[in-house]
Amino acid sequence: MQQANECPQEADVERRMEQSILDLGIPPCPTILTRFMSEISKDEPNYRLLETLIGSDVSISAGLIKTANSSYFGLHKHVRSGAMALIVLGLRTTSQAIAGLILRNAFPHVQNLERFWDSSTRISHLSGRLAQRLQLPGLTAEDACTYGLFSNCGIPVLLGRFPNYRATLEKANREANASFTQIEDLEIPTNHAMVGCLLAQNWWLPEEICLAIRNHHEIQALDVNQPSIPPLSRRLIATAQLAEHLLHKHLGLSQSLEWDKLGEACLKVLKLTQEGLEAIYQDAESLMNET
Amino acid sequence: MIDPLTGLLDRFGCLQTAKQLVFDSQQSGLPCAVIWIDIDRFKQLNASFGHLGGDKIIISLTQRLRQRFENRAEFSRMGGDEFVFLVTDCAQPKALALATEITQTIEAPITIDKISLRPTASIGIAVLDPGEESLSLLERADRAMYAAKKKGGAHIVCSGEEPVPGRLGVVLAREELEIESKLHVALESGGLCLHYQPILRPDGTVEAVEALMRCSANGENIPPGQFIPVAEKTGIVIRLGEWCLLQGAMFARHLQLSGFSTKVAINVSRAQLISKKFTQALHAALICSNVRPDCIELELTESLFMDISETVQNNLKNAIAAGVGLAIDDFGTGYSCLANLKDIPAQKLKLDRAFVSVLPEDRRALAVVRAMTQLGHELGMTVVAEGCERPEEIDALLGAGVDAIQGFYYAKPMPEEALCSWLQNRGDHATGQ
Repeated sequence: MQQANECPQEADVERRMEQSILDLGIPPCPTILTRFMSEISKDEPNYRLLETLIGSDVSISAGLIKTANSSYFGLHKHVRSGAMALIVLGLRTTSQAIAGLILRNAFPHVQNLERFWDSSTRISHLSGRLAQRLQLPGLTAEDACTYGLFSNCGIPVLLGRFPNYRATLEKANREANASFTQIEDLEIPTNHAMVGCLLAQNWWLPEEICLAIRNHHEIQALDVNQPSIPPLSRRLIATAQLAEHLLHKHLGLSQSLEWDKLGEACLKVLKLTQEGLEAIYQDAESLMNET
Repeated sequence: MIDPLTGLLDRFGCLQTAKQLVFDSQQSGLPCAVIWIDIDRFKQLNASFGHLGGDKIIISLTQRLRQRFENRAEFSRMGGDEFVFLVTDCAQPKALALATEITQTIEAPITIDKISLRPTASIGIAVLDPGEESLSLLERADRAMYAAKKKGGAHIVCSGEEPVPGRLGVVLAREELEIESKLHVALESGGLCLHYQPILRPDGTVEAVEALMRCSANGENIPPGQFIPVAEKTGIVIRLGEWCLLQGAMFARHLQLSGFSTKVAINVSRAQLISKKFTQALHAALICSNVRPDCIELELTESLFMDISETVQNNLKNAIAAGVGLAIDDFGTGYSCLANLKDIPAQKLKLDRAFVSVLPEDRRALAVVRAMTQLGHELGMTVVAEGCERPEEIDALLGAGVDAIQGFYYAKPMPEEALCSWLQNRGDHATGQ
């Protein structure tokens, strides 16, 4: 992929980025890749659109964040989102790494990932909007978006490994009492929250985001008296759960009983009263349209 | 902006006002403070008197606070039983005096359903630091309030005066806190890496490579002797261990794809093994790396022998079932004892370096090494000696029958790329398996 006018350092970064995305094993969304490449090929690409596209894809965001956070760049400020990573790495290196992946057709075809891509993007964007609205201490829209994007990134990894995992997910979605991950643990030797947490640690994401991913189906994690969970992790979990609930309620994206199990505890963490929630329901459409 | 129950500013109103307060303070140069109040045992009051009773208590307290503090501070209800006072021209002594007055106001008896109650409050205070933002100021006050709550309630705590806990709530000495902070920096900025030290058989083939963690923060290396004890004390060792598990497994996959048959030995801490989530974490690492499990060996620290609980036994059984190998590390000293050998289904025994450094002069040590090696073989285990630095030690160890040797004499720990070149140069490409 190295071109004649490319410096060796750029090629190294490009190689690292490609490798990070390949290591993850989650294929990037083809639509996003195509839109990204078509925008970048313009004389004056729209940077905001590129940022949005990158921030909408689990795989590309993860690859960029991991590369930007690696000690190679020696940054003092941690990169916490795909958009921030794009600034660090630059358009040229990023686009070349992405083009390389497309050209080499690097990922095997995994069926039915559309729903995962669509849902993670929507939850990410809506979580960001909710964080802006809720104004909870320490909770930034950027972290809420990053967490929303990655919270379920373990799912496509497991879909690629266990042929019956889709049935397990359906079963977990229908479960009214036991936690989502408890159902997974009964059927496979691990669960998507643990897989997601290990990956997030590997991408050098902040501890609060990693712990939120690890515990996002645990009711105990939302208890304010649980000292091992930082308050920010609780707020991230609750914000994304609310985002998912709003999406389910308004768009019927997926049917799960998560809000029935965790909703009350989430509202407590978000310090939302029933009236406050009603107000959000009323504004939900405009919040979602902003995304 | 207005809380319907009390008519006070609600949380959103408070956040807006706090922004203004901070802005004004930065303009005028006068200090400002946030006082965060939480009514103790309010949940219990709600349960006893119902939500209506709880509301009555909140309304009654609001009236009192209004009467006493109107025009002296902006105050708001953050939801539930939490109130926040925003005070201009207020340094710590004044904030403390105000908080004491608030306590007295709250503690006066309230009669609900003919029962006289004496509510108490936990109060946190934070005074604006130079350049600080309003959210951070509020968060510090909130944290100080939690510290007051932890003291059992009815306490006032100023931010910065809390006992200094690490990020995971363990109280640490200042030096350790610095290391803890560096560990967090390392974990979030690519400051961890693994170096690999080969373990060689007498015929020169490579038995395995041991992954050893290296840590740096802001360009400064932190020796394992410093960061590992702090990681163990704070629980960060689980995160480090899981990072190591995935990273080591990914490198094993890389070796496998490059045609090397070398196993990667990964250290597992006691904290990981006593956790009920260990099995899930191990499988997650194997799945994410897509490595063949038999390319991974878990080295179990000798402190594990302190208590081999049912959870530990299940975790070890599950690891074996997953197809990874187990090795007992640092055997022969510390907590390890012969009786434990029958309980741990390990295939490898690594003799502690303390026996090696005194060889061959110390005949008694040699006798112990010989006996341990024989015992290991009787149990069907491969026996490895660690820490070999001199040729005399190697001769003595081979004479005692050990199966493989690790130490500076053969190779120092090296980064991934250097190890691959080292293996390549030795012609270890695509051997065995």
